[in-house]
Amino acid sequence: MKLLNKYQRIIIAVTVIFMLITGIIYYYTISRILTSQIDEDLILEENEVINYVSLNHRLPEVYESSHQQIFFTPFGHKKIKRRFLDTIYQMKGTHLEPGRALITSVKVSGQNYRILVIQSKLQTEYLIKIIFLITIGVIVILLAVLMILNRVILKSIWQPFYKLLFQLKEFSLANQTNIESIPSKIDEFIELDNAMLTMAYRVKNDYQNLKAFTENASHELMTPISIINSKLDTLVQTDEFTDKQSKLLNDLYGTVTRLTRLNKSMLLLAKIENGLITDDNQEVDIKKMIKECLYQHEEMIHQLNINLQTDFQDKRVKASKLLMEVLLNNLISNAIRHNHSNGEIKIVLDTKQLNISNTGTGTFNFEQVLKRFHKSDGSEGIGLGLTLCKQICDNYGFKLNYSLHKNTHTFAVSFE
Amino acid sequence: MKILIVEDEPGLRESIETYFNEGDSVCEIAYDFTSALAKVSVYRYDCIILDLTLPQGNGLDIIRHLKANQYNDGVLIISAKNSLDDRIIGLDLGADDYLTKPFHLSELKSRVTAIVRRRSFNGNSTLIFNEINIDLAAKMVTINKQSVKFTRKEYSLLLYFIANKGKVVSKSAIAEHLWGDSIDIADNFDFIYSHIKNIRKKLVEAGSNDYIQAAYGMGYKFTDT
Repeated sequence: MKLLNKYQRIIIAVTVIFMLITGIIYYYTISRILTSQIDEDLILEENEVINYVSLNHRLPEVYESSHQQIFFTPFGHKKIKRRFLDTIYQMKGTHLEPGRALITSVKVSGQNYRILVIQSKLQTEYLIKIIFLITIGVIVILLAVLMILNRVILKSIWQPFYKLLFQLKEFSLANQTNIESIPSKIDEFIELDNAMLTMAYRVKNDYQNLKAFTENASHELMTPISIINSKLDTLVQTDEFTDKQSKLLNDLYGTVTRLTRLNKSMLLLAKIENGLITDDNQEVDIKKMIKECLYQHEEMIHQLNINLQTDFQDKRVKASKLLMEVLLNNLISNAIRHNHSNGEIKIVLDTKQLNISNTGTGTFNFEQVLKRFHKSDGSEGIGLGLTLCKQICDNYGFKLNYSLHKNTHTFAVSFE
Repeated sequence: MKILIVEDEPGLRESIETYFNEGDSVCEIAYDFTSALAKVSVYRYDCIILDLTLPQGNGLDIIRHLKANQYNDGVLIISAKNSLDDRIIGLDLGADDYLTKPFHLSELKSRVTAIVRRRSFNGNSTLIFNEINIDLAAKMVTINKQSVKFTRKEYSLLLYFIANKGKVVSKSAIAEHLWGDSIDIADNFDFIYSHIKNIRKKLVEAGSNDYIQAAYGMGYKFTDT
C-alpha cells in the first residue's frame, strides 16, 4: 500500500466518522429545536382553547387548518395526564403524515373533554432529510477530492521520490551507472536526494578503491613472483640434484606457476571490471581461434580418446583478441577436463552462437560456479575460469548459458 | 651476442645476467632510465632486454630514442604490466617482442635468440647445430641432408632447446612455451615426455646424436657434450 493511500485512508476514516457524528448531533439538535417549536405552537393552541372555554363555557368550533388538527372527545371522571407525543395522523384527503400531538383535558360545564391537538411534522422531517443528504454529499465530494488530490500528488509532488527510487533500482556498481540529483522543493526529498548521492559516491569510491587495490596488488605481486621464477631457473642450472631435491624443486615450480596463473586471472578480472581492456576493436575470427585452441589441447583430447565433433561457420566479432582467447580456452579446456575417457565433445559455431557440449558425469550449480573461487568437486582449476568467461561475455553483451541433458553439459555463448 | 639488460629489480637483473652471461654472449646492465639511455647512446647491442617501468623514466622513451637515431638494436620488452596499450605502443614503436613477467629465463633466452637471429640474417636464415640444419623460413629440419618431419610443437621445442643449449630447461618452462596459459601444467608433463621422446627418436633415426638429456626429473637439457 502506498504511503499516501495509507495516510489517506486514515484521514478518510476519521473524516467520515466526524462527519457522521456531526450529522447525528445536527440531527438531534435541529430535531429538538423544531419539536420544541411545534410544542410551543401546540401549547399556544391549548391555551387558546382553554381561554375560549373559560370565556364562553363551551368548546370552540373545530376549524380547518393546513397544519393543525384539533379533536375534542368527551370522557368520564378519570384524570387525563397532560403529555406530548409523536404520532402519525391523516390529514383530510391526504396520506399519512408524521405529526406531533398534545393530549390535554378541559372541563366544560361539568363535562370532561379530552383535547388532542396534532401538528404536522412534515417540514421538520424534510429539513432533517436535507441535512442528512448534505452531510452524505459532503462526504462523497470529500472522498472524490481526496482521491483526485492523491493522483495529482503522486504525479507531481512525489515525482522526485519515484525518480530517485528508479535510479536506485538501476544502480549497479559493475555497470558504472550514475545517480543523478533530482531537484525538489520538499525538505524530505532534498534530504533523501543528498543522502543517496552521498551514498552512491561513497560506495562507488570504496568499490573503485577495492578494484584498484586488487589490480595493484596483483600487479605488485608479479615482480616478486618473477624473481622467484628466475631464481628457480638459475638454481636448476647450478649442480647435480638428488631425487629428493628435484622433487622439491618440481613442487616449487608447480606452485609458482599456479600462483602466476591465479594472479594473472585476478589481474585480468580487475582489468575487465575497470574497463582497462582497450584493444576492443580487433576483429576476431572465432573459427580460427577455436581451431588453434583445439590444437593447443590436442594431446589431452587424444589421451582421453575423446570423440570430437565440430561444425563451424565463419563468425567474426569485434572484441579483444586476448579476452576471446581466454573465453574460448576456458570453455574448451573445461569441456576436456571434466570429460571422461572415450567421451564426446561437440562444438557448433554459427553466426548467432557457439555451443560447446561435453559428456561428463559430474553435476554442478551453474550460478555457484560463476562466483569467484568456487570450485566444483574434484576441479583442479583455480576457480576463476567461468567467472572470467561470464565477465568477458558480460563485457561484450554476449550471453553465457548452461544446460544439462543426460550427462551432456552444454555451454552456449550467444553473440547477440 | 651482445646484450643490454635494462631492469631495475636487482634480483631479476642478476638472474638474467647469470643466465645469459655464458658462451658467446656478453651482457651489460643498466638499472635505471638514465644509465640505460647513456649506454644505448654510445654502444650498439644485438638485443636490449628492456623493462618499461624504470626509475626516472619510461622504457618506451628508450625505444623512441633508438628509433630517432636510427639505431637498429633489437628490443625485447619485459614488463609486469600486461597492459595491452604498452604492448601495442611498444611493438608499434619498433620493439621486436614483448614478454610479460613472470617468465622463465629459458623463454627469455629463446626469444632473444630469435630476435638476434632474425636481425642478423634478415629472417632468411639457416640455423646449424652440428649435423642438425634448420631452415627457419621454411621451418624445415634436415639432418645429414635428409629431411626430417617434425610436428609444429616438436619443431618449436627443438628450437627452444637449441636456443637454451647447455641449460636445464624445466618442465614448467617447456609446458608454458608449448601451451601457453591454456592448460594446467600438471596435466602436461606426460605430453612433454612423449613429445621429447618423439624428437629424440626422429633425431636418432635420422643419424643425429641424442642431444637431449633428462635432468633429474625436473626438466631436460640439450647438450652436445
